[in-house]
This record gives sequence, structure tokens and C-alpha cells, in this order.
Amino acid sequence: MVDFYIGLFLASLIVALFTTRLYRLLFWYALNSLMLGVLALTIGKNIDDNAMMITGVITIVVKAIAIPYILKNLSQKFQFVRRITPEIQVQYAIMLVPAILVFTFYLSEPIVTMIHTNANYVAISISSLFLSLLLMMEHKNVAPKIIGFLSMENSLFLLGITATDGMPMLVELGIFFDLLMAIVVINLLFHKEELKI
Amino acid sequence: MITLLLLPAFIMFLISFSKNDKSKYLLAFTSFVILLPIIKLFLLPKPYAIIGNYLVADKLDTYVLLVSSIVGIGVTLALLTLDKHVKVSPKAYRKFYRFFAIFWIGLIFSILSNHMGIYWIGLELATLATVYMIKTNYTPAAHKEAWNYMIVGAIAVSLILFGIILMYASAKPILGEDAMSFDLLLKHAKEIPSPFLFEMGFAITTIGMFVKMGFFPMNLWLANIERASFYPVAALFSGILESAVIVGFFRFSKIAMEVNYDHVFIFIFVYTILTIFIVSFLIFRAKDFMRLFSLSGVEHMALIAMFWVSGAPFAALLHFGAHAFLKPALFLSTGVLESNGKYRIAGALKGYKGKRGTLFWFLVSLFLLAIISLPPSPMFFSELYGFGAMISTAKQGNHILAMIGAILFLLILLSIIFYRFVAIYQSMKYEGEEKEKKVYNSELFGLVIFAFSLMALLFPATITYLKSIV
Repeated sequence: MVDFYIGLFLASLIVALFTTRLYRLLFWYALNSLMLGVLALTIGKNIDDNAMMITGVITIVVKAIAIPYILKNLSQKFQFVRRITPEIQVQYAIMLVPAILVFTFYLSEPIVTMIHTNANYVAISISSLFLSLLLMMEHKNVAPKIIGFLSMENSLFLLGITATDGMPMLVELGIFFDLLMAIVVINLLFHKEELKI
Repeated sequence: MITLLLLPAFIMFLISFSKNDKSKYLLAFTSFVILLPIIKLFLLPKPYAIIGNYLVADKLDTYVLLVSSIVGIGVTLALLTLDKHVKVSPKAYRKFYRFFAIFWIGLIFSILSNHMGIYWIGLELATLATVYMIKTNYTPAAHKEAWNYMIVGAIAVSLILFGIILMYASAKPILGEDAMSFDLLLKHAKEIPSPFLFEMGFAITTIGMFVKMGFFPMNLWLANIERASFYPVAALFSGILESAVIVGFFRFSKIAMEVNYDHVFIFIFVYTILTIFIVSFLIFRAKDFMRLFSLSGVEHMALIAMFWVSGAPFAALLHFGAHAFLKPALFLSTGVLESNGKYRIAGALKGYKGKRGTLFWFLVSLFLLAIISLPPSPMFFSELYGFGAMISTAKQGNHILAMIGAILFLLILLSIIFYRFVAIYQSMKYEGEEKEKKVYNSELFGLVIFAFSLMALLFPATITYLKSIV
């Protein structure tokens, strides 16, 4: 089952790379986060780690529901451009994505021999990190760049779950706090304030 | 202790919501109060556990915290007259302090942490707070650069977390959840079952930190941001935020050097030389103060990292202290120098009359010459110690000729920077038109504090303290 969720995690990120509409991108991000939360719940249950299961629930609530909702509201409030065409053309992107996947599996080969549990998942989280960077690079608009940054955070979270069987609870809560702070700052950055003295 | 450390920042945060005109002075006063608990912490016996094994004050982090709080006071003094030099609204002013309070909270956690995760959380909080500080300057350029900082800063911080996860994964089999503690990792560095994984994590974390400090290949992003933001923000960047980053580098590299010294040395040495190579030519072409000082900041951070891994931690710490005082002092001076028209280097130091004016141009000249390591600047001594220690390390490793070659190459690059700074100083003092310019008491007081702090670095007691950190 974990393989299925991790496959969906990666697939939602790949589809996000080809999306040309903002709301659909938000949907793929929400699905990506949902899969991450479900993965944390499943792995947490398998290894009997309550902290990871709590993290999984928080991930679903914050990342799969709250953040996409807030971003959608922001896009309506500040009238974002909803048509987001990637700068890299589809025919090139379609070659680039598998190349990144193969490259990261090759890159992480020495690591996977050292991590015995969920070894291939480490490679997938590293490739997700590269794909998130690609998402940030291929768009000129700010909104997809924000989604890229949030997806990058998801990839790191996946690495934390798979490579280390979960980070300490304190760190994970801290990361959530910082993420919420990032959303506050992003909201403030959209305000174009005039100089009134 | 933690309550005492955080209380001034919380009070500052609350006062920043007040719309009273006088709150500006209260905010500045609160910033001064930050120094008191830090002095108390400084005097306590070390290591001092603040919160269990999570926040532990040792000699290194109290030194960094003390330096940062002095910089904070200097910046606050300059902020009192910010509206005399640039157009700033009272609302932006209050918001600046609101985020300065958050920045300070993040910084305290980051610098005092004995835990990789808490270090990262504090650093991320401080980074996010600075994003909005850039935006307090309501110009399109600052708006664009705030977004740039948000995105590039987020990538850099993500790389740091990525590396931390790998380092944690490498040591978890022997240390369990304690594999996040810096002191335990250092103690058990030789026993880490997968050193390759640790080294890879260290390399990625270091690249994240170097990107954040403007090292190769991201040499200009910080300079552009500092150019677009208000000058006190640039001073905070160079004097405080970079301190938090470099203290992390010190801690991570100490463990990595225990794991495999040669790998760390070669990696950092090549990276920093490459950075200085690029930066020296960028400095040669710099045409405004902000970019010039920003790029010079990158050069000094590269030297600090190089000295640290080359077996000269004392030189690195001395250089770090000098840089932390000199760079904010120069950024704050830039605010005054540029208040009568931007980008004019010729004649920038002319026209300052009276006692205040004379003291101002004298201090700026002193800082400019000190930053290029002219004696008796602390940077002169730190470079002397640093290069000496590099030779000693090379002797032990039987690569003395390669090291001498590298130092000679480095000296050529530093001489390019030296030449540019001297040329700029001459242009500031002896060229251009003379127009009457004004300098205010508070900013002058800030500069005097920096000058005294700089001198204090050369006191025998300070040198003994720095050597005891090592």
C-alpha cells in the first residue's frame, strides 16, 4: 500500500509540472500533500510510531486542506493570473522528467545501500525535490513558484519519513510552524502598499 | 533564562502595534534591553543548559549572541533617524520592528541551539522575518527583491534541512533521536556507521548555507537585495543573520572534520577560493556603496570559513567579530552618505562640517581602511594568524608548496579588492563637488559604538576569551 501512495505522491507532482491552470495546480498540490499525510499515517502505523501518525494528521489538515484553501482565497483577493503557462515546452519537459528520475536513482545509489528501510523511497524523495525545483524554475508567475516551494517542503518531509523513520516530533512541529509563518509572509508580500507619509 | 532572553523581543512585538508617535523611542529602548540578559548569560559558567540539552549556551554562541546584540543596538540607533535620509512611513517603521522582534526570537533559538532541528527552525523563522523587512521599503525594486529573497532563501534553507535529514539518518542507528544533538554527534563522530551519508548531508547543508551568504554561484543575489532594501536591513543581514548562518557552519563542520578532515578541508578550501576569485572581480567593477560592501561581506565570510577549516579557528572568530562590527557600520554610513543623492562615490566624504561631521568622516575612513585589513584593524591580525595557521597545517599534511601557491593566489585576489577600496576612498575624499551634508547624533553614536567594539576585539581579555573558545 505504501508503494501505491508514494507512486501517487510522485505522479501528482509530475502532473503539476504540466498544469497550465492555477486552481488545478492547487488541486495537485493538495493531492500531493494528502498522499504525504496518508503515507505518514501508514508508515507510522506499520512501525507503531504515534508521533508520525500525529504528524500525518497535521499534514492532511494543514497542507492538504488549509494551505490550498488559503492560497485559493489569496488568488481571488489579489486577482492572480490563473493561466500559468510553463516556460519549458511540453515536449522538452516530457523528456526532462524521466531524465531527472533516472538521474536521481543513479545519484542516490550509494545512499540506498546504507539505508535499509524504504531504500527506494529516499531516491523518490530526492527526485521530488528536483521536480519541485523544476516547477519553481519553469514558471514566471509567483503563484506556481510558491507551490514549488511548498512541494519542495513536502519532498523534504517525505525524505524525513523514509530515510529516518520520522524526525523528532519537536522538529516536525517546528517545521509546521515555520510553514504557517511562510504563508503569513506570502500573504503580506502580495499587499502592494503605497508610501504615505 | 529563556524568558529573560525572549521578553524584550515579545515586548517589542507588542509595542509595534501601538500607533503613538513616541512608540518609536520605546521600541529603540526595548532593543537596548536585549543586551542585558545576554550579558548575564555571557557571565554565567559554560556550558549553561538553558532548556535541557536543546538550548545550551557555550562560549562560542554567547560570543556570537553578544556581537549580534551590539549590532542590533547600533542598527536601532540608526533607525531613529531613518526618516531623515529616506522616505519611510510610520506604518512601515512599526512593521520593521514587528518583524525585527520575530527575527530576534528566531535568532536566539538558532544561535543557542544544541540541536540541528531547532537550529534550522530558528534560522527559517529569522529568514522569513527578514523577507518582510525588505518590503518595508515601498518601492517596486524592494517588492521584487523581497520575492527573490523569499524564493532563493527558501531554496537555501530547504537545502540545509535536506542535509540535516541525511546527517540525522546517518547517525540515528547509534544515537537514536539524540542524533540531532551537536554535542553528541561530535562525541560519536568516529562511530557514525555511514560516514558517506553524513558527508553528503554536510556538503548539501554547507551549499545551502553558502547560497544564503552569497557564495559562488549566487554572488549577486544578496547584493541586489541589500541595494533594494533600507540600509538598516542590509546592516542586519550582514551583522546578524550571517552570524547565525556561520555559527551553524562552525558547528556542522566541527563534526564533519572529525568524520573526515581531508574531505572537508578540500571541499571548503576550493569553494571559498572560487568565491573569492569571482567576488574580487565583481568588487573591482562595483559602482555603488551597497554592492561594494555587500560583495566585500561575501569575501570576508569566505575567508572566515577558510580559516575555520584550515586549522585557524581563533583567526576565524576574530575575523568574524571584526566583520560583524565593520560591515553594519559601513552599511549604516552608506545610508548617511547616500542621503544626498544615490550612487555618488566622488566627493561622498566631503562637506561634513563641525565636530559631528569631522567625527563622521573620520570614522567612515577608519572603517573603510579597516575592512581592507590595514593595521591595526583586527582583520589584519586575523588574516596574519589565518595564513600562518594554513601554512602550519600544510606542513603537517606535506602539501606545503600547494598551500603557498594557494595563499599567493589569494593575496593577488585580495590585492585587487584592496586597490579598488583605496581608489574609492580617494575618490570619496579628494574628488567631486563639496556640498554641505548633515549627520545626526543617534547614527553617529551607533558608529562610535561599533568603533569601540572593534577596538575591544584587540584587548588581551578578548583575545584570551576567543582562544579559550577554540
